[in-house]
Amino acid sequence: RNAAARTTTITTASLLGDDKPESKIWVKIGELVEAKLPGQFKFNVVKNGALGGEKEVAEGARLGSVQASLSTVSSLSGWVPELQVLDLPFLFRDAAHVRKTVGGDVGADLKQKLAAQNFVIGDFINYGARHLLTKEPVTRPEQLKGKKIRTIQSPLHTKLWSAFGTAPVGIPITETYNALATGVADAMDLTKSAYAGFKLYEVVPCMTETGHIWASGVIYYSASFWNQLNPEQKAVFQEASKEGAAYFNQLIVDDEAASVAVSLKNGGRLLKPEAFEEWQKGAQGVWQDFATIFGGMDRIKAIQSA
Amino acid sequence: MAASPSDFPEQTAVRGDSLAARVLKGVESVLGTLAALILTVLLTVVLISVCLRYFFNTGFIGAEDLGIWLHVALISIGAPLSLNSALAMRLDVFVRLLPARLLPAAAVLADVFTVLAAMILLFGGSEIMSMLGGISPALGVPEWIRFGFLGAGGVLILVVLLLQRLAEGRALSVLISLVLGAALYFGVPEIFIDSELPPSLFLALVAALGLVLAAPLAHAFLAAAYVAIAFGSSLPEPAIVSSTVSGMSKFLLLAIPFFLLAGGLLTSSGVANQLVRFAASMVGHRRAGLAQTTLLTSVLFSGASGSSVANAAFGASTFQPELVKHGYPPAQAGAIIAATSVLDNVIPPSIAFLILATATNLSVGSLLVGGFFAGGLMAICLAVAIHLSVREQVALPRASARERWQAAISAIPAFGLGIIVVVGIRIGIVTTTEAAALAALYTIILAVWGKVGAGSLLASFRQAATESAAIGLLIGTAGPFAFLLAVDDVSGLVSEFVTILGGSALAVLILSNVILLVVGLVLDIGAAILLFGPILLPAAVAAGIDPIHFGVIIVVNLMIHGLTPPLGMLIFVVSGVTRIPATALFKAVVPYLLALLVSLAILCAWAIIF
Ligand code: NA
Ligand code: NA
Repeated sequence: RNAAARTTTITTASLLGDDKPESKIWVKIGELVEAKLPGQFKFNVVKNGALGGEKEVAEGARLGSVQASLSTVSSLSGWVPELQVLDLPFLFRDAAHVRKTVGGDVGADLKQKLAAQNFVIGDFINYGARHLLTKEPVTRPEQLKGKKIRTIQSPLHTKLWSAFGTAPVGIPITETYNALATGVADAMDLTKSAYAGFKLYEVVPCMTETGHIWASGVIYYSASFWNQLNPEQKAVFQEASKEGAAYFNQLIVDDEAASVAVSLKNGGRLLKPEAFEEWQKGAQGVWQDFATIFGGMDRIKAIQSA
Repeated sequence: MAASPSDFPEQTAVRGDSLAARVLKGVESVLGTLAALILTVLLTVVLISVCLRYFFNTGFIGAEDLGIWLHVALISIGAPLSLNSALAMRLDVFVRLLPARLLPAAAVLADVFTVLAAMILLFGGSEIMSMLGGISPALGVPEWIRFGFLGAGGVLILVVLLLQRLAEGRALSVLISLVLGAALYFGVPEIFIDSELPPSLFLALVAALGLVLAAPLAHAFLAAAYVAIAFGSSLPEPAIVSSTVSGMSKFLLLAIPFFLLAGGLLTSSGVANQLVRFAASMVGHRRAGLAQTTLLTSVLFSGASGSSVANAAFGASTFQPELVKHGYPPAQAGAIIAATSVLDNVIPPSIAFLILATATNLSVGSLLVGGFFAGGLMAICLAVAIHLSVREQVALPRASARERWQAAISAIPAFGLGIIVVVGIRIGIVTTTEAAALAALYTIILAVWGKVGAGSLLASFRQAATESAAIGLLIGTAGPFAFLLAVDDVSGLVSEFVTILGGSALAVLILSNVILLVVGLVLDIGAAILLFGPILLPAAVAAGIDPIHFGVIIVVNLMIHGLTPPLGMLIFVVSGVTRIPATALFKAVVPYLLALLVSLAILCAWAIIF
């Protein structure tokens, strides 16, 4: 096979449809690469989660069926547990704080660890902050007591919600609307951009802007694909990924504004959390647990005060 | 979906006294007991997690993942057991057309698919061990273990195949299959055939070859995914196995063994007979009263069970003799049973809807509501067809109000099952998988209450485990195929084609129904849903059809195939139990088939109008 002469197809997975940032970013990256390296690469973006969830796609990247994708860091934490530092609740003030962290030593260290696990990082991306969604207004943590909350099945998330006296329930996102409508769960947490897409304002109209967890992600390439690139190509992909990440982050911010507008129009309510220190206290147990993985509470505190 | 082994006569003579036969029996008995044990643990895990949540307001982290891992283990242990039963989903119509002297060659080739599939699972599974890495965050153990289960499953398939053929006195035949399979396995990576055509096309062709040779459908899928590598498939061997394991690693799918268990115990506990009495007291006095009773029982049974095959097997053993006694021609009696058992996979709970929801991310809850309406419509159409097609039968005496009341009271335990399932899911006390687990628990209690012996209980667990392993393996092995179809953007091609046809809802519906009618002829219903659900759905959504409504149409269309040749699973089940030739049943089922097609047409018209 004369690989050099033909166009290399890059199979990449998007969880959502054409019009979503998750798919648009690959069109952008594809255009940037094409401009610099005409005819050499073709991005086959397989949309709507047709290649599976984030974890299956990441497995595919290691086993050779997928060459590039986006992923939230939590889906990669089975390979690099230290990534969970980016998922620590109530650690980051805002998007700029997150960007500063992933742009600094912490980010560089994580990139290296991911590369050792065959995930070459193009750049970090930001899916936005997760906020609390409830049926009745909840602005103080004690109001959560006894509620059933739909959450991601990861110790980090379940530990946080258990600290507020809630019972975490694992429900796939497709069943979540139904589960909230019928009372299998009373609450959940999600980013603003995903909120309106699932019409969740119909079942959990109250969004409290806790911003407890910033959903960070990465653009990654499989090592087996990356190692075939020459230095020039690698530089082009790096640069394109960086621009793509900035584009993605902006699309998410725009999406959030649109999503909030839609939910407010449909009877959704936006609430500010009260007694913020009480909310932050709920995260202490998670921080404690995680400190051993990450190399001490000092390092976490250093990120917090950066 | 799949039939139970007991529904079918043994296909080949096994020499009961040979060493191989005795070892085979021993191995199967151990595997069956292990599978039943895993199912028991699986059920316990889900039930404990429900208890913790609702009574202690807590949960245990990893319950979901543990359930998924156990399910993969169950499939790996249980799948080899179905190698030589109807559960293997072999399409043998073409082989039957062959002259007798070619049959041994076809059998050898069919086994080549099995050998190749087993080697892919074995070696692909072991490659994953070194390549996958990662620790399950919820369970704290290496992720590769889940994939290792299936690798072990590959070894078990080889062992069972070898023993089976030795016991049949076909040592030479199995030796040739092993050599050919190994040659293919080691040969494929050395070959590259340059082609402009999409690799998924070659996968489909090789799978079709396996189908024609009567290889087990799941094995044909796996082997074809491997051969497609030579044609430029983007799925290397370990990715084939990981895609297979991912396909079966969905929490929702755990509902399948639970619903199968509930369906089996419903019959063995005698509770199903109370449904019959109740139905008879309600409609038995009408024209074609016993046939209408069969229909009503089927509707009621459907509300509690998710498997049409269980319904057909139950109806064939309970109703068919009764119908014949009351003067119905045997074939017509069998046809009525086969046709009414279609309802089981449409009226919730339904395994077909579970599979569709896993493949397309549609909400199970909403699909079940759609299923209620579609099932009701189909039942009405069938009632009319029965009314028109059955002539001058002696009706049962009309039951008095008191008798009806008594029959209703004694059927309460059976109604309870339907209430647990439907109310549990819809009113939302539990998720679908949990509702299925509660239904299984409920039928276990009914069985113990009804003094069903431990041996019979174990047999029910074993049967449910074996059936769900066969279904689970098929769901998994359709994964690599679905992956390649997605990479080749076949869904986009369908959408483009629809646009050429005008892009209207009508065009999409006609095209979809035609595609489904054709693929349903040869593919198992579950496989057809997995492969074509994700392909057709985007085009339907683009044409403005409600996705849930379209999902219901897909299931109804494919379920009707249970009654059509060549792969009419429901007809085969009824034929297996009643010993009426399948051809006679295919002929006799035509009026009911038409009734169901009318209901499909109404559903499609509805989708366009609303
Ligand atoms: Na049913
Ligand atoms: Na058929």
